[in-house]
Amino acid sequence: MRESWRRIRAVAANTFLEAVRQKVFAVLLLFAVVLLGGANYFAEFSFQEQFKFLKDLGYATISLTGLLVGLLGAAQLIPAEIERRTILTALCRPLRRWEFVAGKYLGLVSLLGVMLAIMGTVFWFVLRWKEAQLIGVEGGEAAAVQAIQAEARDPRLWQAFALIAAKLFVVCGLAVFFSTLATSTTFVVAMTLMVYLIGHLQSVAREQWLESGEKANWLLQAFLAGVALTVPDFTLYALIDEIVAGNVVRWRSTLEVLAYSAAYVGVLLAAAAWLFEARDL
Amino acid sequence: MTREQRLATVGFSGPTAVAVREKLGQGLALAALGGFRGLAANVLMLQAHGAWERQQWIRVRSNLELATLLQPRVALFWDLASWHLAWNAAVAAEQYGGEENETRRRIEARRWVEAGRELLERGTRAVPEKAVLFQRLGDLYWQRLGDYRAAADCYREALAKGDAPAYLERFVGYALERAGDPAGALEYFRELRRSMGSSPDPARRPDLVDREIEKLERQTTGSSGDRRR
Repeated sequence: MRESWRRIRAVAANTFLEAVRQKVFAVLLLFAVVLLGGANYFAEFSFQEQFKFLKDLGYATISLTGLLVGLLGAAQLIPAEIERRTILTALCRPLRRWEFVAGKYLGLVSLLGVMLAIMGTVFWFVLRWKEAQLIGVEGGEAAAVQAIQAEARDPRLWQAFALIAAKLFVVCGLAVFFSTLATSTTFVVAMTLMVYLIGHLQSVAREQWLESGEKANWLLQAFLAGVALTVPDFTLYALIDEIVAGNVVRWRSTLEVLAYSAAYVGVLLAAAAWLFEARDL
Repeated sequence: MTREQRLATVGFSGPTAVAVREKLGQGLALAALGGFRGLAANVLMLQAHGAWERQQWIRVRSNLELATLLQPRVALFWDLASWHLAWNAAVAAEQYGGEENETRRRIEARRWVEAGRELLERGTRAVPEKAVLFQRLGDLYWQRLGDYRAAADCYREALAKGDAPAYLERFVGYALERAGDPAGALEYFRELRRSMGSSPDPARRPDLVDREIEKLERQTTGSSGDRRR
């Protein structure tokens, strides 16, 4: 087990270093930082509105950047290595295929983790800057200052951040899964994006259909059940919107979603490893 | 879409009640479907703000209704939407120079106030755990519809949520008084003062409550004295 872990770590470290050397991730990070810093141009609205804009834009920037990093990173993981034939060099060592897949995934989420940490830090500074700006505008009124500080220092923002990270790790898992099947990066990106969109739509579509009261035949029901089971339900992460809206979200709900994410990633990686095992390289 | 389908989907059936997808536009629809509902709703808010500055009230209503559709759990959107409809649009309708008939202007203004009220009532169902929308509904009944008893009920509802501002306690009594029920207001203020205890929190302004009690006692005693004479 220890040897396995050592090999997985080696693959992960190699994946992380390769990704860091690529300029596209640095550009994406720069873009995100600029966007986060620039989310400050809503001065004519009330402070509640300004904070809502800032938080929504901040989280959307972090989500979008993370999504792009996950897609581009995973798309190059296995198809690019097969194309360059470097995968044969790696696999002829005492490295099992499932260790290779796990290492690739860990390397990618490490990169994502570092980028999320940087973006999260920038976002935190922007929130504190906005807080200072608004307190200066509102003057010394104690109630207003307290309300502004409550918005800027809301501890639930950490919950939202954890949910975004979990969502992005699931997307990375999807991308790694498709990369074990694919021969081209386009296929990986396209399939992952499609599942991402279906994941957002499927619960909405299911609710609409259930509320309509129509009775479907067994085949359609089986199909819908299959979609519900296989496609991750990304609307679970809508707790982020609740947190930004200032509504109470218990840590228990967040932990349930995090557990769901971990379980889903586990299943994805197991399936990816199984498919990769049977693949002719 | 039929009229009934529009009503069921977007909550109103006016000329702007076309399908959400048509109103949102491709970009915003994609943003909404891609999990960026907050961003899409904020863009709609910004568009509504711009429309307000240009006094395009139908567009204001349409954009804000969409924002509440995308993010029904954000109390801020419902609050802002009702303010634009029941206050800004209604006042603009009352003062509209293009309509000479005052009655017609008032009817149009009333329509906007009712639209704001209906929207706020939907908001209280969407965000039932917060006081702010119930408080705003109370303000609407008081300031725009002159229904002080309904305002008092809304303020009570808001206070029951636990996050209402302290001053709202007194507003229930003020509303009852304005509704022509000084006895009811007096009873309410006395009950409120009793609930504050012997060492009341200064934020609850026991001095103002005492002042109201004295005033209402004089009023009710004075009026019953007049009747005896």
